[in-house]
Amino acid sequence: MTEDAAAKIAARLSELWRTSRPTVLERLNLLRSACDSLAQNPADEEARATGREAAHKLSGVLGVFGLPQGSEIAASAEHRLMSPEPLTADDLSGLRERIADLDAVIASKPEG
Amino acid sequence: MSRRVLIIDDEEDIREVAALSLETVAGWDVLVAASGAAGIIKARESHPDAILLDVMMPGMDGPTTFRELRSLPETANIPVILLTAKVQAADQKRFSDLGVVKVMFKPFDPLVLAQEIAATLGWQEI
Repeated sequence: MTEDAAAKIAARLSELWRTSRPTVLERLNLLRSACDSLAQNPADEEARATGREAAHKLSGVLGVFGLPQGSEIAASAEHRLMSPEPLTADDLSGLRERIADLDAVIASKPEG
Repeated sequence: MSRRVLIIDDEEDIREVAALSLETVAGWDVLVAASGAAGIIKARESHPDAILLDVMMPGMDGPTTFRELRSLPETANIPVILLTAKVQAADQKRFSDLGVVKVMFKPFDPLVLAQEIAATLGWQEI
């Protein structure tokens, strides 16, 4: 690949991040809301599915924009939401930690 | 040699970044579709050289779309690469058993996606 192609991709990724960042934050809020709902009712399947889907999408996209640690954290959150068992207090605590970590990772890459 | 690749993914940002990568790095023509159903129509119309197909989509998911593509004479022989966020080993085997050329994982690196696809398909022009 030429340096020109790499520079073009980097510039366009920066533009795309500006438009994608609000969607990323929206997905993080969905995950946070799901976690809050699950704290009220650990057997809430709808909240679990919503949170799992939001985490899955975050896992897929953050690394594409140069945030691979964000993808790893989101994958870990998704994994916690995949168990068929109701979430324990430890599970919810772990999820909240991951959401805080995702907040920090996304904040580390401003709109540019 | 110019290639034509169809990207089927419901996430706009993934479609855009993948298209950017394939067009800029490899110079391929890229077509996009936001759903399995739309992707099948586009594949039948445009006969791409390969299809990059997301697994988790609302409505018709990736495996269902793949089976439909395989059942249609005009798309049955188009190589399909599944694209998914990291999955457990059992899911990976299930996807591979479908008959796709390869299962690739998100997040992908936009700087090397085209090379990975070319290597998978034996395309040697990049």
